[in-house]
Amino acid sequence: MSGKKKSLEFSSNTLPAMVTVGPVVVIMTLLIAIPLIFVAVMSFCSIDEFYNIQFQFTADNYLRLANPDYVKIYVQSLFIAFFTTLLCILIGYPFSFVIARVKGKYKKILYMLVIIPFWTNSLIRIYGWRSFLGTSGWLNSFLMKVHLIQEPLDLLYKNGTTILGMVYCLIPFMILPLYTAIEKLDDSLLEASSDLGAHPAKTFVNVVLPLTAGGIFSGSLMVFIPCLGYFFVSDILGGGNSDVIGNLIERQFQSGNNWPLGAALSIVLILVTLIIVKIYQRLGGDMDALGV
Amino acid sequence: MRKKIAIFLAAAMLVASFTGCGSSESKGENGELNVFIWTEYVSESAIAAFEEESGIKVNVSTYSSNEDMLAKLKSEAEGTYDVILPSDYAVEYLIAQDKLETLDKDALTNLSNISDTYLDPSYDPGNVYSVPYEGGVCCIAVNTDKVEKQITSYDDLFDESLADSIVVLDDFRAIIGLTERSMGLSMNETDPATLSEVEEKLLKLKNNVKLYDSDSPKSALISGDCSVGAVWSAEAALAMEENPAIEVVYPEEGAYVFMDNWSVPKGAKNYDNAMSFINYMLSADAAKMNIEDFPYLCPNDAALEMMGDDYVANEAKNVPADVISGGEFVKYLDSDSLAIYDEMWTKLKE
Repeated sequence: MSGKKKSLEFSSNTLPAMVTVGPVVVIMTLLIAIPLIFVAVMSFCSIDEFYNIQFQFTADNYLRLANPDYVKIYVQSLFIAFFTTLLCILIGYPFSFVIARVKGKYKKILYMLVIIPFWTNSLIRIYGWRSFLGTSGWLNSFLMKVHLIQEPLDLLYKNGTTILGMVYCLIPFMILPLYTAIEKLDDSLLEASSDLGAHPAKTFVNVVLPLTAGGIFSGSLMVFIPCLGYFFVSDILGGGNSDVIGNLIERQFQSGNNWPLGAALSIVLILVTLIIVKIYQRLGGDMDALGV
Repeated sequence: MRKKIAIFLAAAMLVASFTGCGSSESKGENGELNVFIWTEYVSESAIAAFEEESGIKVNVSTYSSNEDMLAKLKSEAEGTYDVILPSDYAVEYLIAQDKLETLDKDALTNLSNISDTYLDPSYDPGNVYSVPYEGGVCCIAVNTDKVEKQITSYDDLFDESLADSIVVLDDFRAIIGLTERSMGLSMNETDPATLSEVEEKLLKLKNNVKLYDSDSPKSALISGDCSVGAVWSAEAALAMEENPAIEVVYPEEGAYVFMDNWSVPKGAKNYDNAMSFINYMLSADAAKMNIEDFPYLCPNDAALEMMGDDYVANEAKNVPADVISGGEFVKYLDSDSLAIYDEMWTKLKE
């Protein structure tokens, strides 16, 4: 009985479903599924002497990924991503708190300050940092003018500069979910905590932090993952001295001329991303909070 | 009423877009030509002048690395492009793969403008498949205000006094190549034992390199962030114009030389037009326009005679002939050797 009802429902829904979901399925298949499958297949191919891709199964590309030099770069990438995320939380949390708590036009102004940089290409903004921090850049010129320093500071082309650039590029992805989480915070809970005699610090640790943990998680995910691939930041601000996984991939598709190896590296990056998302879900993260 | 206006506007836009398409794809009176060239490397006015003179419509597509170009050639249907502008090793690679048409020398009457120094190159003996366009050298640029040491060779780049002060091209063939030259080796070594010695020396450069930059290494030299550079000669020339303390040094071991060349890919549909185009680019007028817009090294003697002193007297632009003849081109390497180079580079950059 119920089976029959279901099939009836199905048939009456088929046309609308095809019209509404169909195009999405087609687009997803054409633009995401097929290219991904192609990358996966390519990662098991080999190349001939002229770097042409040979459709001949080999696991060599994956074996080469265990190369200690590559491992060093994975670790370096994770290190850069970790510190970038940490800094984004430390800077983003208080900032989001302020946006969520101020009223009226100040809230709008602060919110726009986060959004507006998005309207300019991130490459241009990163080049801006380069001329700001350079030996004859604005910062050094200013500090020397006010006689705080005698010699220009050497600020560019270090791991720290790469992390600075990553934080700068990615902090909006931390602030927006944090803002949403903090905005939802119920004031009466804070009052209750304070009425029951809790010190503000204690209220923060025991009430505020657990209630906004979802925002921290989703923000961290949105910051950590792009960090592994943002090769242009490490190229421009790190001076190419601190490669991330993205640099390795880019090189195999360019001067390295080994697309199958590049494909294998991409697959590894996708797997790392999936693992991180899984950890996020295990920790109770909400996929909807990612806005994906 | 509003709906009608909307429909009318939409229809008008549709028609406009069709006519827009039509005009951009229309052929010239003498047909068309599809050229595939480096970005920021061929003067637009030279191309426009060719169109006017020949009545051939030129459709330009661009690339920003030889590897991009080669990948596009592989993936697009044969006959998509009529003229390409590959560098030396890419010409050699395409010849080895039988991907180029031979050039009709009878049609290339302006080839006599090209200096003998640049003809009959190792990558294409007898210029059967390619003719030179512009080129350059991986030279050393030194800021003499900041560097006391007299720098004369690639080997000097490894000197301890230059710690954390060099900008080098983010290009592993160039930097591993100059390491090889500094050891008296060829830039195209493939013997694994030799390459492991090269690797040992290359890693000593790590301490001296502050910045890897192929896009605009001159910026770091001009701003003073780096005091020495292993950069393309044209970049050095632009840096020298901004800061007179910067000097160009051609390494005594013999420099890394590159040359970009006009070639015709196999299966080109407009071969005769391609010959007219290449011949025009070899003319003194066109070469002058190109060199004025993009002051790389000019193999065209007839154009050189027309250039002013700011080009001819500048050693970084008008590279001395003995630097070219004493230099070496990079060759394409088989995939196994290339993998060794790539791994050395990864070690340097980790």
